[in-house]
Parts: sequence; structure tokens; C-alpha cells
Amino acid sequence: MDDKAIFNYCRNLGCCVACCLRYLGIKNSNAYANPTSFATKFQAEETLNKAPEDAEKCTSTVIEDISDVLNESQSQEIKTEDKINIENTQENNINSTNTINESSNGVEVFGNGSSPPSKKLKLSTCISCLGVLQEFTWQESIDMVKEVLDKKGYACNTFACALSAPIATMLRERVITLQLTNEFPEYDQNSLTPLKEAWKWSFGTHLSRHIHKTLDSGAISPLLVTLNIDYDDDIQELEILKKVSPQLFEERSRQRRRFATEFTRRSVEQALETATLSSFRAAGDALCHVSSHAHCVSVICTHAPIYLCGRYIKLSRNLPQSPWVLDGKRVLPSSVQEIIFGPIAKFYNFSDVDCEGRLKFIAAGREDVDVRCLGDGRPFAIEITDPKRELTSEELNEACDIICTSGEVVVKKLVPINREDLALLKKGEETKSKTYEALCIKLTHSKHDDCPADSPITMSPTDLRLINGYKETNDVTMMISQKTPLRVLHRRPLLVRKREILEMSAVAVPEHPQLFRLSVRTSAGTYVKEWVHGELGRSTPSLGDVIGARVDLLALDVTAVHLQWPPDKQ
Amino acid sequence: MEYNILESIDLNEKSIYKSFTERYFSKRYILNVNGIKNNDIMLLFHSNRITLLCLAPSHFFFKRDDDYKLNFTIGKVDRLSNTVKGKGKKGGQMLTPNTAICKVEWSDDTSFEIPAGMKGFLVEINEQLVKNPKLLRESPNSDGFIAIMLSSISISDSMKKELLNHEEYLKIINSSCE
Repeated sequence: MDDKAIFNYCRNLGCCVACCLRYLGIKNSNAYANPTSFATKFQAEETLNKAPEDAEKCTSTVIEDISDVLNESQSQEIKTEDKINIENTQENNINSTNTINESSNGVEVFGNGSSPPSKKLKLSTCISCLGVLQEFTWQESIDMVKEVLDKKGYACNTFACALSAPIATMLRERVITLQLTNEFPEYDQNSLTPLKEAWKWSFGTHLSRHIHKTLDSGAISPLLVTLNIDYDDDIQELEILKKVSPQLFEERSRQRRRFATEFTRRSVEQALETATLSSFRAAGDALCHVSSHAHCVSVICTHAPIYLCGRYIKLSRNLPQSPWVLDGKRVLPSSVQEIIFGPIAKFYNFSDVDCEGRLKFIAAGREDVDVRCLGDGRPFAIEITDPKRELTSEELNEACDIICTSGEVVVKKLVPINREDLALLKKGEETKSKTYEALCIKLTHSKHDDCPADSPITMSPTDLRLINGYKETNDVTMMISQKTPLRVLHRRPLLVRKREILEMSAVAVPEHPQLFRLSVRTSAGTYVKEWVHGELGRSTPSLGDVIGARVDLLALDVTAVHLQWPPDKQ
Repeated sequence: MEYNILESIDLNEKSIYKSFTERYFSKRYILNVNGIKNNDIMLLFHSNRITLLCLAPSHFFFKRDDDYKLNFTIGKVDRLSNTVKGKGKKGGQMLTPNTAICKVEWSDDTSFEIPAGMKGFLVEINEQLVKNPKLLRESPNSDGFIAIMLSSISISDSMKKELLNHEEYLKIINSSCE
């Protein structure tokens, strides 16, 4: 395949140098960082020294041989049968001796030639990328990116960039590839280098120098800079597709409720899939004149969320895990979540509103307001949305210290983790066993208690033996059925859950003969309180059933959540 | 750090010894339902609008020692086939204050009905009571409850306001005994 011919064919259509390289299928990122010098080798030899830049402004698209055209360039007028590309200028000054030149200051100069001397013209906008890849359009975008980055102040020294390009570029690319295939039968339409890629390599590299950050791929850099580039005539130009693919758009307009917008990337893609060069020719002028280049309308910068993890110890029997609000009023003034968020918000200068939107608390389950969580504590993680920087290990230590001053919550360390690790937390909630300590009270005589009905109720050695020897006596762990507890029944479905009491042991409490301390390890999701008192027979068998008496619980602590957390770093 | 569970609560504080129903529910009473003397019921309202139906201690049921059976088929409706689905508990049988939840049938073939006492729907009949009807007599205000019902927040709130509370109930019962 004749690369030179294709390059020059595109050039004559009115493509910028970078787009010409795209149609050639060049996928070398350096090529786009400096397209003009890379393109030298594709330049027809004859044109190297004498081809004027404005040769691209000729009005013809069907040029048998680029060098021919350039040679007969004295003739000012070139055939315009196809007239797909209308360029505005009539000043095709063929005597100019400029080589292709897109100067770095964004203005193309072709004033070195003899006639007209030192005349400057605005560079014509590329008919394919609409200026997206042309350096002279970039300053505006760069200024906008800088403004957003200055405001947000990310510490991250790498970035990735993403482009939302005008939809008309899709249409134009299709028309040009169809023409190329028509002109060069061996041309492979799929070789086209996507606009976004070329833009990253060219604009991205350029931007990198201005914002002093290293350009990286989106898979690596957490900081993403997205530019939305609009083109004034976008919708107007896409109208042609209604002629090229009438059924598609009639169908869409009939189902207006489903398709609110006529031209979306998807609908245009569909229309272009089946379009042919002849259908475009029949519909009219698809590569119409570009009156003004596309320009950046908005810049969005976001940093990927970061995750911190730790375990919290809850020492209060009057503290919910998350803010407890009823009818718009707070029931209790604080929560584990808010105490832990406090120092994090301080380091990021987050307001209360920021905290709500940008900090998320994720825990491996939860305990009731009146239940303490002791031992190593309960695993949790914090998701920080769009952070401007990472916290230093000194700051994380300080955060722990601040949390501990609450007196209600203790966090011994906070460490950064990956998003993938969060799955362990949720999985832990569903699969890992937990150990509790409960202070229980025996309320009635046991069936085996051989004593007068009015004698004091006491935890007898037999009672303790029944609990401590349960596994040995019965040769199985205790399997229980729990209906959804009444206290959550209003918001959860009524179900019967099968759970397992994996271990249990009880000791008497000196000076309180009716009380006993119970240590119990249960499968995940066991409602311990309900198992102890039986919840009116809705949780069976209950602890009371083990000793044949009514039992209730006075206090409950979680003593271990059996989950490796923070996750092991292999 | 040692956080002894015994020291974490005040064992002299009486409120920690409240029974399960006292802890979570507020008691309300309806007396002489359907004009039948001492056809007294007790509704236990949870703050989340779950409501338990029980017989009030002053119910005439407790005056008789005879054997009885419980019949949960009211007309064509079998209360035991009640099912609810999902978080919204869809499909529960509709109840009005006078609809009977179950019938107590004495061994001498006389019987009486226990009314729902409120507008709402049935979530669950006490399965343990079906297995062991004696619970109705032995622990009427705990394991011997009859049914779990659910109503709207507004009905639940207004009923809690309008019905007799425990103190008012005791006053009336004590004065009628004298």
C-alpha cells in the first residue's frame, strides 16, 4: 500500500497532519507528540521543498496523483467535481515555498514565500478532528484544565486524560475512510487510529508539560482529567444521517419516550455501520466546511477514591455505628462513623456536607447501640471520594489518636488498602464467626431444680454443666432457627434463618447467684440477644431451653470478629 | 485493657431487669370488645409499629380452668395459612378491630372469639401457641401472645394515643373489683 499516496490524499482532503497519520494507522505515540517532523517521510518528495501548506486548501477531493496536482499548481483552479471539501481560501498561492508547517505557537505561517509576502493566515481547521488534534486550538483547553487543577490542588504527580469529542468527528471519520477505500481498494478501514488515542499522545503529552504532571494510562494514574469538547455545528452536521439512515431515526423519533435524544454516540454509530459512500453522496455534503474549530466547554478532574482500613473498638453502650436520625431529629448525638470521620475530615478540610458526600463508612457487620465491641475490634474501611492527596502515615497515626480521645471509640491503626480488598470485608460479614460475652440472668427455676417454688433462683452447677457440656452431651453443636427479630421485622422480610452456636461456656458470677457470664461463638448473622431470651419462642431452641428455664441478658459485648483484617499482604 | 462486663452496667439499676416485652413494647388495652363484658385484650406496640395481640389479664378466659382448644379457622379464612412476602410483608390477611383472629373452644362446646383490636394486617400467628395452646393461660403477656400484626404509622400512633395505657387500665380494673 502506498502510504505516501494515502497521506497526501488525506492532506488534500483537508486533514491535519496528525489525522493523516491516523488514517495511515500509525500507532506510535511519539509520532503524535510531534506529527510534523514524523510526517516528513510521507511527504511526496517533490513537495518537500515547494509544497505550500495551503495546498491542502484546494477544493478538490479526487486527485489522481498528488504530485501532479502540486506540479500543475500554477493553475490556481482545481477541479471540483466532488466538492466534498470546501475550503474557504482562494489564496492558493502556489509560489510559496513553505513546507508543511504547523508552528508551535498555534498559528500557521506561510509568509516566507514570495507572494504575498509575510501574509499570515489562520490555520485551516482539520476536516476530520475539527481541531481536536491541532495545536493551535489547545491553549484554551489547557487554561481550563489548569484552572480546575489549581482549584482542586491534587498532589498526585501523574495523570490520565480522557476526551469527549464532538459526535461529528465520527461521521467525518466514516466518510473519509469510505473515500479512502474507494480510492485505494486495498485500504483497511480498521487501521484508523482512534481519535482519543492520538489525542492522548499529542494533546496529553503537551498538557503534561503545562501542568507538570506525568501522563500515564487511566489504569495506572488515579487522577483523571476529562475534557468535553464541543463543536457548534455538531447536531446540524449529523442531520445528514437522517437521509443516510432514515429508518433508524424514524424509529427513534417514534419512540421518543425511550430515545430522548436523536443523536447519541450509539445511534450515530448504528447509522454509520451501514452507511456507504454512495448513500452519503446521495444525501449531500457530508464533509462540509468547518467554520470554526471545536472547543473545550468543560473540564472535569477526579481522583480515584482511596480506601483506609482498620478495626474499631466501641466502648460505649450508648453509641450507634452510623448516625441515628428519627423523623429528622437525632436520637443520639454521635456515632462510631462520625467519631472516625472527624480527623479524616480535618486533614482534608471537609465540611459536614463534604463528609456526607465524600466519606463512606464500610464495616464488617454492626453491633446494636447498647452492645460494646471489644478485643481487636470490628473490621472497617473508609472510602474517600475524589481525595486531593493521600494521607501520610504520621497523619494516619494522628487520626487514630484523635479518635481515641473520644473515649468511646478506639482505633489502633489506619492503613491504606485497595478497592479489591473491600470484598473481604463484606464476605467476612457473611461468613465469619463472631465471639460474644453476655451477662445473663436466670429468671425462673429450671425444670431439674429440686427446690421449693419460693426459694431463690440460682444458677446451679447443673445449669453450668448443661451449658458447658452441651457439645459433649449432645455430640453436636447447637443448630437454631431464628425468625426475623421483631425489632427489625418492619424493615426486613419475615424469614426463618438457620444458624449455629459453635461454642459456648458459662461461669457463675460471685455474689450474684442469679447471674452468669456466657461466652459464645456463633456463625455469621446469628441474633445473639434473641437466641439468649428466645424472643417469645421465635428463636428456637434458645439458651433458656438448654437449662430449662427462662433466661434473659443484661449486657452484651462482641469480643472477637474472626476476620483477618487488615488483609494479609502477600 | 480490661473491660469487665460486670462493671459495664449498673446492676442496681432496676430498668435493666425489665422483661423482654417491657423493654421493647408499650402496653395498651381495649375493654369489653363487641360489648362483651371482660372481653379484654392487650395490644403491645413496638416503636417500629409491629404490634402483638394478647389477652388482657382481666379477660374472662382466665376465670375458667376448663380445657380448651384454639381454632384458627374463621369462616372460610385459615389464619394459619397466612403468608407475607418481602420487606413490605405483602399478602398478609387484612384485619379490622372486630375481625376474629382465633376462636377459643371450651370442652363444653361453648366458645368465644379473640378480636384483632386494630386495623392492619396479619404478619404471623404465634407458632408456639398453636403447638402448645396452654401458653395462652400460662404466659399470656409473653410467650402466649396470639398474633403479630402490622398497621400504618398513623394508625399505630393514633391507637397508642387513644387506647388505655397500663396505669389507666389498672385504675379501671381495680375500681371495678371493689
